[in-house]
Amino acid sequence: MNGWAGQRLRVNLSTEEITKEPLSYEYRRKWLGGRGFNSEVLYNEMPVNIDPFDPEARVCIGVGPMSGTAAPSTGRVTVSAKSPLTGGHGDANMGGHWGAEIKYAGYDQIIIQGRAKKPVYLWIDDDKVEIRDASHLWGKYPREADQMIKEELGDEDIHIMLIGPAGENMVRFACCFNDVWRAAGRTGTGAVIGSKNLKGIATRGSGTVKIADPKKMMNVCDGLRQKMKTDVMKDGLYEYGSLVLINIANRDGWFPWKNFQEGAHLHADNMSGETHAATVMKHREGCFACPICCGRFTQIKEGKYAGEEFGGPEYEHAVPTGPRCGIIEDANDIWHNCRLTNDYGMDGIECGGTIAAAIEWYEKGLITTKETGGLELEWGNEEVVETLIRMIAKREGFGDILAEGADRAADKLGLGDKGHYYSITTRGMTVPGDDPRGLGFGYGLSFAVGTRGGCDHLRSLCCLELSGALYPGLCTKLLGDERANRPVTKVGKPYMVYYEENQKTTTDCLNVCCFTTHWSYAVRTEDQVDYLNATTGLDFTEEEFQEIGERVYTLERAYWNRHMSGAREDTVPERFLNEPMPQGVEYQTNVGATFPLNDMLKKYYRYRDWDPKTGFPSAKKLKALGLENVAKDLEPLRAKYLSEAEKKNKKWYC
Amino acid sequence: MNNAKVLMFNNEICTGCRSCVVGCSLYHEGEIGKILSRVAVVRNERFGESFVVGCDACSDAPCAAVCPTGACAMDIKAGITKINADKCIGCKECANACPFGAINMHYKTGKAFKCDLCEGREQGPVCADWCPSGAISYQTPTIAYKAKRREKLSERLKAAKVGEEN
Repeated sequence: MNGWAGQRLRVNLSTEEITKEPLSYEYRRKWLGGRGFNSEVLYNEMPVNIDPFDPEARVCIGVGPMSGTAAPSTGRVTVSAKSPLTGGHGDANMGGHWGAEIKYAGYDQIIIQGRAKKPVYLWIDDDKVEIRDASHLWGKYPREADQMIKEELGDEDIHIMLIGPAGENMVRFACCFNDVWRAAGRTGTGAVIGSKNLKGIATRGSGTVKIADPKKMMNVCDGLRQKMKTDVMKDGLYEYGSLVLINIANRDGWFPWKNFQEGAHLHADNMSGETHAATVMKHREGCFACPICCGRFTQIKEGKYAGEEFGGPEYEHAVPTGPRCGIIEDANDIWHNCRLTNDYGMDGIECGGTIAAAIEWYEKGLITTKETGGLELEWGNEEVVETLIRMIAKREGFGDILAEGADRAADKLGLGDKGHYYSITTRGMTVPGDDPRGLGFGYGLSFAVGTRGGCDHLRSLCCLELSGALYPGLCTKLLGDERANRPVTKVGKPYMVYYEENQKTTTDCLNVCCFTTHWSYAVRTEDQVDYLNATTGLDFTEEEFQEIGERVYTLERAYWNRHMSGAREDTVPERFLNEPMPQGVEYQTNVGATFPLNDMLKKYYRYRDWDPKTGFPSAKKLKALGLENVAKDLEPLRAKYLSEAEKKNKKWYC
Repeated sequence: MNNAKVLMFNNEICTGCRSCVVGCSLYHEGEIGKILSRVAVVRNERFGESFVVGCDACSDAPCAAVCPTGACAMDIKAGITKINADKCIGCKECANACPFGAINMHYKTGKAFKCDLCEGREQGPVCADWCPSGAISYQTPTIAYKAKRREKLSERLKAAKVGEEN
């Protein structure tokens, strides 16, 4: 078969049953791969109100038709599970080389269900699949367990997915890693994997991906790689990693200083990509088949953390446990915190966001040292932040409460709406370090409607409002208005979000990296259709490409709707709506800005064909997308969502 | 010594991305996989280290010296050994003899295959062409060494100047 491997692997850890299921042409054409396959399984295979930690809950690991091929950046893999953090649809994807290895081993998807009696890991050696004892690996950091498994199996060239101690302790925002450092960070998939007593999946793939039209594929890929060489967005990412954004964020006022109280800081450059490259960068790292190579490897050289090494960080990983908690003076503190969240295996965004919320609760007098166990939560106190990171990972004392995520912690502490005001979340997940009052109104709209909650920079990745000006004419072509290339404007944004969400969803189905496409605009939708067709030998069009994204996105939306989460929950933290952006630095460009969500939301609903009252997709739209069963599921729920009982029940999470 | 260009590898800056690997296997084999590539990347993720291995174009090439059928032979004009698949009997002598592991056996034909500098490709070898970091370059050694000497000298001068200023 061309492109796809054509089968998925299902492992039941309770019964130790291992099965391989063929994936039909119709199925592949409808869901494409990766995130599409995963979202389909989450929606259709699990009962609605299943506990995310129930043994029968699924963890889906998906790769796409492009995985392992020569198209730009084809090593990504999507990990999906019902999120223990948000209670809704959850998925995250990660780079590295594991995605390609899964394909070379002969699978498009791995589904894990059941729960092992004792800690185990999975060993996929091409078609041979084995469940192995992992008692000796339990409690180990990913970097330790990776080495131990490689020695045990006698092959240093294999690629391994692992969870850290936080996943074992079911911290609700634990993540999983492959190649030691590449994290599928968000929504707590690591906790679900941990709940199954699964430490990781070691994989050796010695197969190949067949290409329908190699000559055309070579032409397409060659062209794209030549274009990437001179792409402006690629240059910054290669030189400085995604930390290249620090100084830009600071100028445009979306640097998340002190839990988004401000949008810029005089000393932001301390942790910029430029400073990082000149001081602590040991190496640049490339994910599979990537023409960008934004990955970093860091070695702290000075201070009390001298000698510490880790893969990363990138922008979103570094800002939450740094400036969002008020730390900026010594960047080594920030790198050290990144190293810690990596080793414990937690989402750095959620961890930092939750700590920042706690610091603000303390500042505003909502909690005292009585709740924190004596810790004085002050901004910029590295010792406190470091202690909390450790306490969260081990679920000790106050850390056990914060390990539930900011919104659940607010409820456990009985802080009421005031507590939630400072949790800076949507649908139970904290937003990443991008303030929509500065980065842009498209990003903000995406936070409100994103289908994994808190949802974030990668859901729509409205990069046109950040970099659109670097590609003259592109906004006009895609959105009909060149003015959409500015961040702090509503012009063209509802359609931009609609278009980019669909585009990014299909990109996640192919499992190629967003940074090569519609971040850098060297690879565009039409190019993706080209390489997809050259690989599979099929006849996808741009329309079908966008439609697949819309289908998967709408299905994920319905997943939330089934949990009574809809229009009422389509909002962003009130801070962004109510508090005008204060002046942080002299050169800041967005002073006084607030985020005008409501005007844009109505238009966005129209593009999506969502009912304005419920926020549920219309039955007509669902049927047009081939989601007849979903239309049936949602029908009785529409009235229920509007009932008085539900109206009082605005959900912070499900 | 002639002026033929060969591949040069700089493992100091290799990011381990395997762009070379996918390009090589697609260009030569029409399907994509690590096992079909003429260049290989060895990664040590825990320490963020990567190495790229390819044909180093030995002047006194062990692969050609040990070949019992003459299938693996030096192409003097190209400055690199090449394998004639028709003559190759798949004995693996060349793969064993290569000090770098730059020769592999084909999973379908059982015959040895190795780098031929993408003979006939206008833009030169695809691995160097697609390498995002410049870890693989396609150069004439003598010219590359000249440039390297110049670079080292300017580094030393720069360091001396900084010393003076301090």
